[in-house]
This record gives sequence, C-alpha cells and structure tokens, in this order.
Amino acid sequence: MLHPFEALVIREARLLDARDYPAWVALYTPDCHYWVPVSPAMTSPLEGPSHCNDDRQLMLARTHRLANPRAFAAEPPPRTVHVVSGVEVVSESADTAEVLSAQIMLEWRQRDGFEADQRLFGGQVRHSLRRVDGDWRIAVKRIDLINAEGSMNAILAPI
Amino acid sequence: MDPASLVTDTHVHHSVYTDPALFRLEMERIFGRAWIYLAHDSEIAEPGHYVTRHIGTTGVIVTRDRDGSAKAIVNRCTHRGATLCAFERGEAPHGHQCPYHGWLFAADGALKMVPNRQNYAGVLDLAENGARPVRLESYRGFLFGTLDDAAGPLVDFLGPMASSIDDLVDRSPTGRLSCAPYVLRHHYRGNWKMTFENLNDTIHPGFAHAASVVSAKHVAEEVGSRDGLSPTVGMMLANGKPIQFFQDLDMMVAPPGHSYIGGHMGANYSPDTADRYTADLIAFHGPEKARQVLGTDRHLTLLYPSSTWHARYQTVRIVRPVRHDLTEVIGYVFRLEGAPEETFRNAIEYVNGANSAASPVISDDLELYERLRTGNGYDGAGWIPYTRGLNEDREAGNGWTRTPATSEAFIRNQFRAWAHYMEAA
Ligand code: FES
Ligand SMILES: [Fe+2]
Repeated sequence: MLHPFEALVIREARLLDARDYPAWVALYTPDCHYWVPVSPAMTSPLEGPSHCNDDRQLMLARTHRLANPRAFAAEPPPRTVHVVSGVEVVSESADTAEVLSAQIMLEWRQRDGFEADQRLFGGQVRHSLRRVDGDWRIAVKRIDLINAEGSMNAILAPI
Repeated sequence: MDPASLVTDTHVHHSVYTDPALFRLEMERIFGRAWIYLAHDSEIAEPGHYVTRHIGTTGVIVTRDRDGSAKAIVNRCTHRGATLCAFERGEAPHGHQCPYHGWLFAADGALKMVPNRQNYAGVLDLAENGARPVRLESYRGFLFGTLDDAAGPLVDFLGPMASSIDDLVDRSPTGRLSCAPYVLRHHYRGNWKMTFENLNDTIHPGFAHAASVVSAKHVAEEVGSRDGLSPTVGMMLANGKPIQFFQDLDMMVAPPGHSYIGGHMGANYSPDTADRYTADLIAFHGPEKARQVLGTDRHLTLLYPSSTWHARYQTVRIVRPVRHDLTEVIGYVFRLEGAPEETFRNAIEYVNGANSAASPVISDDLELYERLRTGNGYDGAGWIPYTRGLNEDREAGNGWTRTPATSEAFIRNQFRAWAHYMEAA
C-alpha cells in the first residue's frame, strides 16, 4: 500500500502520461497554480517570468489545445512517461501537506530531426496539497527543472 | 558570391536562411556593424558588477567601471583565447581574471597583470595586449554596443524608433526602470531572421495560432465571461481578431530595418491601479505629457537586427543568432520604479505568454520557424515572395513609411537594410 500522498503524486503522473487531461485538471483545487520557475531561487511567480505559471484556466486551455489537429507543434501530440522517485512528505497538517519528489519526464515528439525527437525534462517537484471537501487535491505544483535557467525549445506536454 | 543578388524589391532567395557561409558573413557585416542592444543600466548598478551578452556570435562583457561609466570588452583573453567570464552576471571588483594562466583585465580591457612577469621581460607589451574594447553608447539607460568603430552615433541608428524607447522610459512615474533579475529564454532550430519576420506579421496569428483561439474560447465558455479570463488565455483569444482589424491598423517602418505596429492587445489596469498610476504620472510629467504617455499604444517595435521592444508591457527581447540554423530569444522584463505593483505583474504575464517556450502561442511559432528551416533547406527551394501589401503604403515622410499592419513592408524594409549592411566595405 502506498502512502495516500505518494499515490496522488503517482496518479497525477499516470494521468499526464495517459493524456487524460480533464482528469488531470480535476486533481487540482479551483485556485491552483502549476508553476515552472526560471530559477530555483525564485520564491514567487510575481518576482519575474516563468516557463509556466498557470492557473486552472490556463491548464485547461493548454491541454484542450493538445487535442486540436491545428496545434501544429503537437502533430501528433507528444508521448511522455514520468519516472517518479523519492517521494517524501515534508510536512503535514489536518488539511494541508507538502510533498517532494524527484521526477524525470521522457518525451517523444514527432520532429524533423532524429536526435531532436526525444527529450528529457527533470528536477525536483513540490506538491502543496490541500483537503477540499474531504478529498486531497493539488493546490500548487512547483517544478524546479535542473535546467530551469536554460533555453527551452517548444514545450507542449505538461511536465 | 554577391549577397545583394539574393535580394530584390519583391523576393529574397531561400539561401539567406540556410547557408552557413552567408551566416558568417552576416555576423561580420550586419552584427559586426549595427548597434546591438546589450544591457540596461540597472543590471550593473554598482562598480564591478557585470553581465555577459553577445554581439552576433561574439561574447562580450559589460561592466560598471569604478568611475560609474559602463565599459564593454570582448569576452576573450588575449593570451590563448579562453573566455574570461562564464556567468551571465556577477561581480568582479578587481577586474576580469582569466581562469587559465591568470592574466587580469580591467573593465575597459586594459591588461593589468600577468603572473611571473619576468618571463615576459622585453617580450610582451601589456599596453598592446588588452582585451578588445567594444564601443558603447547609452540611450536613456539602455546600453548598445557595436564592433564597428566607424559606426555613426546610436541616435542615428535608432532614428524615429528612439520614440519607442522613450515610450518605455516615460511610463515610469520616477523616470527609473529596473530590469528583473530573472530572464526567460527560448530557442529554435532555425535562422534568426525568422523571428524578425514573424513578430510584426499580423496575418499568421489567425492561422498559426488558430488552435489557441479555439481552446481559449472553450475556456471562456466554461468561465462564462471574457472579463474573468486569466491574462494568457486572453492573449490566446486576441489572436482570433478578424483580419480587417489588422488591415485598419498601422505599421510604421524606418531604416535600417526597424518597424512597429499599432497596439492591439486592449491592455487595461484595474480601476484602482489605473487611477493611482495616472496620478503618479501626472505628478511626474505634468498633465499634458502624462496624457500623451498613457495615450501611446504600440505593439512590438523591432530594432533590426537584434532586439524587440514592448513598452506597454515593459519587455525587451534579445534575438541572438547562434548558428545559421539555431537562434535564442531572451526576454527581459522591467519594473517601472514607483509604479503600482500591478504594472509589473501585468508585464510578467505578458512575457510569460510572449516568450516562454511553453506558451501555447509561442510553441506554434517555434514549430513554424523549424518548418521554415526544413522547407527552405531543400536544394533549389527558390525565391520567396514578400509582396504582400506592396502597393498599399499609406504615407511616407520624415524617415517613416506608414502602411497597413497586414503588409510585409517590414520584411522588405529589413532586407533593404540586410543588403545595405552586407555590401562589402
Ligand atoms: S589563456 Fe588566458 S591567461 Fe592564458
Ligand atoms: Fe506568432
């Protein structure tokens, strides 16, 4: 039996890999944030730009788009597999919890180049969880990519 | 090969995007001759602070010198050629020391020290072995550099487009801007000119970004109103404007290669912020100037060949050519010192949508740049027409041409500059 928080983190990764985006968004609270900062030193997305700083609306728009055949950068939609490791509950109260994990996402995207088709994203992930109506949901997912400061090519699939 | 033969009034040859030899010539003749935006004063606030940037493919270091002036040098040790600074920003109060054999250079490139100097007695003149200085000029706190010692003054290069930098600086109710320490970078496997020919192209959004418009509408329906939309979703939606809207909008082009189009993002601050900000601007500028500042609405200004400016969203982007088929775009966002915090938040939201590789808008542009590289890389791909709007110019005068925002006039203007720069010395 997995710890329920670990099960939630793994379930999220599985939903992303299955491209079941409505179910993915449903794991989040209505006021959620999905945040990929440009530096691990950032303490807030209001300090400067981010690779992603999504509210629920943008998560919906971003993932709804992936199903559209005119989303040219996703022809066909990217295929991913997440490897989740080292899940640790760093704090917990009755209604909130902070969970760290190390994650790697292997992505395949149909591109023109041979070596360009497959990419790796990875880093430390922090899930801030909150209990809503008895269910644990994700309030904030912060992904500190190891190359956060780096220059990115088009990112389609949520990490 | 004569580069001028690759450009006509109506067509450009595909090889300008794909030929590595032409790219090297562009580095020498375009990036080696133009004024290139490097850094803002606020990034090197204290003596010894430095940032590293590029002029074309040449790395440069911009340092605040002890006397308060900014100095730039090529990021290369004159001993055996190692780069001096590896970091994007840092502090070097005692100068830039080469990590290989310890030669030490001042902010202005002067060679201050070589270790074990006796080895060089009579065989090395320190004064002749300084790092290569880069000529710098500032326009209202924005530092531009050129590798061409014979280049005319920066203000001549900017011409009427200097008003777009004024537009940015004048939005500060204290006259001061500060560059946020965090930057947003994307890259694509394609030629640097693709960005310049895309950003003021108002026909492509209706097609390239169609999927974003559909998804944004879907979310808008779910939310139930367009007012409650989050900013990036609103930006996705904005790409769905009818073409006639852009046909009615103005584009301004000016030599060498610069352009801007009229604002069309419909940006607004919340009523509280708008009131307070207007009062701040009136206090600083007086009512007439404040009204003029607030009444100005320009979308992107492209300063050919290396930077793009959006005053309303306090964003400057540097387009950095890496190889003929690899380009990086670096986004910097500025705080209007003394203005309500919402003005900065608004700018961050814009740059996230406009420069993140993960932006639903930009990812389509990046895909298309790479398709252009592939298609133009075919042998004998041929000539590319840029005649859209050729006969639609509205007005010309005083170094400007005004034309519909749907026109490819800005691309023709870029290639006029391209051909001019590329002529042999
Ligand atoms: S290469 Fe710089 S000191 Fe030798
Ligand atoms: Fe675009």
